[in-house]
Amino acid sequence: MIFAGIDIGSLTSKCVIIDENKILAYEISRVTPKIEDVAEMVYRNALMKANLSEKDVKVVIATGYGRNKVKFAKDRVTEITCHALGAKYLIPTTRTVIDIGGQDSKVIAVSNNVESFVMNDKCAAGTGRFLEVMASALGVEVSELGELDKKAEKSVSISSTCTVFAESEVISYLASGEKVENIVAGVHNAIASRIAAMAKRVGVKPDVVLTGGVAKNSGVKRALEKELGLEIKVPEEPQIIGALGAALIAKVRYADSRGKSEG
Amino acid sequence: MRVGYFCTFTPKELIEAAGFSPFRILAKESITGIANAHIQSYSCSQARGSLERALRAELQLEGVIFTRSCDTLMRLADIWERNTKMRVYNFEFPTRVDEKSKDFLISEIRDLATTLKLWGGDITLQSLKESIELYKELEKKLEELFSIKPDYELILRVQEMSVKEALKMIKVPQKERDKPKVLITGSVCPFLNVFKLFEEVGFAIKDDLCTGTRFFSFKYPEIDINSIEDGFRYLAEKYLYKAECPTKHYERERRFRRILELSKDCNGVIFLLMKFCDPHFFDYPQLKEELEEMGKKTMLLEIEFPAVSLEQLRTRLEAFYEVISC
Repeated sequence: MIFAGIDIGSLTSKCVIIDENKILAYEISRVTPKIEDVAEMVYRNALMKANLSEKDVKVVIATGYGRNKVKFAKDRVTEITCHALGAKYLIPTTRTVIDIGGQDSKVIAVSNNVESFVMNDKCAAGTGRFLEVMASALGVEVSELGELDKKAEKSVSISSTCTVFAESEVISYLASGEKVENIVAGVHNAIASRIAAMAKRVGVKPDVVLTGGVAKNSGVKRALEKELGLEIKVPEEPQIIGALGAALIAKVRYADSRGKSEG
Repeated sequence: MRVGYFCTFTPKELIEAAGFSPFRILAKESITGIANAHIQSYSCSQARGSLERALRAELQLEGVIFTRSCDTLMRLADIWERNTKMRVYNFEFPTRVDEKSKDFLISEIRDLATTLKLWGGDITLQSLKESIELYKELEKKLEELFSIKPDYELILRVQEMSVKEALKMIKVPQKERDKPKVLITGSVCPFLNVFKLFEEVGFAIKDDLCTGTRFFSFKYPEIDINSIEDGFRYLAEKYLYKAECPTKHYERERRFRRILELSKDCNGVIFLLMKFCDPHFFDYPQLKEELEEMGKKTMLLEIEFPAVSLEQLRTRLEAFYEVISC
């Protein structure tokens, strides 16, 4: 039996197709303002990759900021619950999930379900968008940031937590002749200290799992590990964890509805 | 003629007895613009938004009564006086709330009555007795109504009119079906779309808000009012035993005990705190801890007025709903 989870985030949309035991396929694409179309497209592309059609899917659950726009989903669940369940499925020892998405970040305490959570969405510092702005100011690609971080000899300090002001600090470092990799390390440390403050409000228990697109950046992982003083685990494809959680909920909802109709 | 006030520790009975209509000043939809020239951006949006309304001449008031509650409100009084044509009076409600402060409060009430007289409103024994009775009637009715189903549209409206008009508006609502119930604690929330969001997500609401139950929750003294002085003493006792606020110091943790008691039949507690509201934020960590020791799930929602970014609030509320209903 086939289930699907769709996660419409602020910058990217994700779809995961699962059967009862494993992930069959997934798709990640950029979000445009026409959320309904984006949802349709990411769903179709994921199905195509799995050689399946819409008729094969028993239940679809939507999550993410755009979840209410996914009209063909059976139900909507918040990305907080979905990230917690997705991370726990891949790494059963998960107790804390740090999800750094495009325009928000969250820290979620997990036991069997979500215990508590903190979310930051007012400020771009500590989000993927912050990295995009900094990468562009430095004239590098976001995907290069992790490698550059590894080459850093030291880290400059970025004092401002506001993206706009942080960008001008970055430009000021460039003007003074600072090496790009040292600035990159500084940018990662700035994100990490912001996230760590949030994490400490929730309480950090190992294992800590990093999810969301930003988890692909090894520099952010490095900085967070240093800031929190513990090892952080990153799933193989951290960007699809929300969609995976949604697909897992779809599976449970289907089982529940079967249970009811049989009972 | 209307007299404005901010804080629920203002004895509205006096304003009414003096022949004025008490008008609660709250931030509204306009984004703070001109007010920024007069007040720091790290003041709460209730203070900034209210000043904005005054500067935009949205408030037609005889005068405004400020109370000694938080620092921001006290300083807002000075800013108000310098930058508007309205008359301003500082009513010094004691910060330490206990029996020892009663005599001081009575003298403050006396001074307020004198000020209202200067503003053209004379208080008589009869007008004072009548207004005390009418407010008690209104508060009792609101209490009953809120115990069935809170109506935030109504309670915000009754704070902008005379008590006689307010009494005409009360209608007893239908009881709700069973839903997960949350206690909302915080200062003011004049934005109905916030409460609507709670309902849309599926919560039943109970509140400890300054624009909600704290407007009408009192313990009434047993005093026969045979003179205006009796009336002043009655009001002092009534307001000393009003629903607690974090800007005051109470004996035996009175505020915490009220909130813990209110939360007993709730599935969770939501701190709806306005950004930069120091009194509430300083109480938050300890109160959160005590609620969690009771087994209550809690969540902090930080808001700014006007309430926008509702979808982000919705995500938090839905996630909290998922947490308490799983």
